[in-house]
Amino acid sequence: MHVTLVQGLLLALMTTICGVDFWLEAFFIFRPLIVSTLTGIILGNVKLGLTTGALTELAFAGLTPAGGTQPPNPILAGVMCTTIAYTTGSDAQSSLGLCLPFSFLMQYIILLYYSAFSFFMAGLDRAAAKADPKPIVKTNILCTAIVAVTYGVVVFACTYLAQDAMSALVNSMPEWITHGLSVAGGILPAIGFGMLLRVMMKPKYIPYFIAGFLAANFITMNNLLPVAILGTAFALADFYNAKQRKTEVEAAVASAQLTAGNGGEKHVGI
Amino acid sequence: MSESKKEYKHVLTNHDITMLGIRSSLLQASFSYERMQSGGWLLAQLPYLEKIYGDDKEGLAASMTDNLEFINTHPNLVGFLMGLLVSMEEQHEDRSTIKGLKLALFGPIAGIGDAIFWFTLLPIVAGISSSFAAQGLIIGPIIFFSVYLVIWLLRITWTHAGYNLGVKAFEKLQENSDIIANSATILGITVVGAMIASYVSINLLPVINVGDSISVSIQTAFFDTIFPKLLPMCYTLLMYYYLTKKQANPVVLIVVTIIIALVCSAIGLL
Repeated sequence: MHVTLVQGLLLALMTTICGVDFWLEAFFIFRPLIVSTLTGIILGNVKLGLTTGALTELAFAGLTPAGGTQPPNPILAGVMCTTIAYTTGSDAQSSLGLCLPFSFLMQYIILLYYSAFSFFMAGLDRAAAKADPKPIVKTNILCTAIVAVTYGVVVFACTYLAQDAMSALVNSMPEWITHGLSVAGGILPAIGFGMLLRVMMKPKYIPYFIAGFLAANFITMNNLLPVAILGTAFALADFYNAKQRKTEVEAAVASAQLTAGNGGEKHVGI
Repeated sequence: MSESKKEYKHVLTNHDITMLGIRSSLLQASFSYERMQSGGWLLAQLPYLEKIYGDDKEGLAASMTDNLEFINTHPNLVGFLMGLLVSMEEQHEDRSTIKGLKLALFGPIAGIGDAIFWFTLLPIVAGISSSFAAQGLIIGPIIFFSVYLVIWLLRITWTHAGYNLGVKAFEKLQENSDIIANSATILGITVVGAMIASYVSINLLPVINVGDSISVSIQTAFFDTIFPKLLPMCYTLLMYYYLTKKQANPVVLIVVTIIIALVCSAIGLL
């Protein structure tokens, strides 16, 4: 059975909505279980959607965007696993294998966008400096719209136009570009941190900066909580020292005023 | 300029905080590697920052600029942080205090959120829902969707909780606001040191072959045993140097970084 034009358009529309949801991680309708079920409904075979969705969901349960990394795309996996099972009549297991190239294709595109959208940040900085909210709103909408349209186009191409050609495209993609983009993704946050340090760093904070960096290097930790607690310890030590000094200064000022003979005047301003 | 005792003046209404929780869904609207969620983070809070600062364009510009700095936290829990920090913006706390607290909290919240939502809840919910769907039962995806709808609604609860905490902490923060600003920066900078080690990644691939059976990987044998995250720190400090001393444009640094990543990938260095 093949996918009709109307079905192809409906799949494109459905994945556009789910794609935006995956981009924002809001309602979790981007998981393969939901996407496959909706694909099954559109293709007129709900049971096929449910069975392929269950299998794909379990296969993708460990592939999460935790910590800002981009996993193989769950939406393309869901929509293509069901569509391939529907068009070729293959079972859910082998459809799952065949849908992976499409999942990788969308993963690469999102990786490319993650790097490319870095270029928008300078414009946002300029708008913030002028307290102008409009460019902030526009840029956010633009980024999300680019992602939404991409999902629609890619899914329409993969389901209705040219399934085989898209699959061949993924397999012919040179390894150094896809690997290079994920390498770039690993390094680009350095610029964000550089900009952060530009506004925060003062010589008196260097010891704490070094301590935090050292802790992350040599203490095994699954998240940043231990360092945040270490930082809290430093902050508290500084806070009580500073408060102690402040009280001592106030006491010194008060006693100086007393010994100067102005006995009646006790008021000490801050 | 500021008196030592101030009354808490509410500018934002209960409804504003609820809407902030809903708008926290926009967190990743312009996700990029350089700044991660900062564009969406600002977008979600923008109407309330505008309301707080009113005609104070300078104050709004300073707040918008701060809120565009690198942030990467968990979408489901971000409302708590937004609520807390918005309450501090509302009282015009020292910018260093707000920034320090933000830097200290977003990482641990991301870690806790990933552990709860991706590594614990998703496998359980996906497992149960998929077992129904595998038998062709539509109740599977319905359970899945319902659970995540509740989790989405809880965003509003987290946001109110964060805001109320901020209101409660207000008096304590006012007593020693100048000392707290410095302590908060110490806390923030400690965590930034650790974040550079955990978010920026540079892995050298070359392996030196010594004879037939012995090979030495530069990354695992050299850097990982001496100073695992030395390269990410060096690259970040290099970016910091270009941004401060050479007034480099961040866009140029992004382009150069992507080109370096692609070239190093092509020659097998990274």
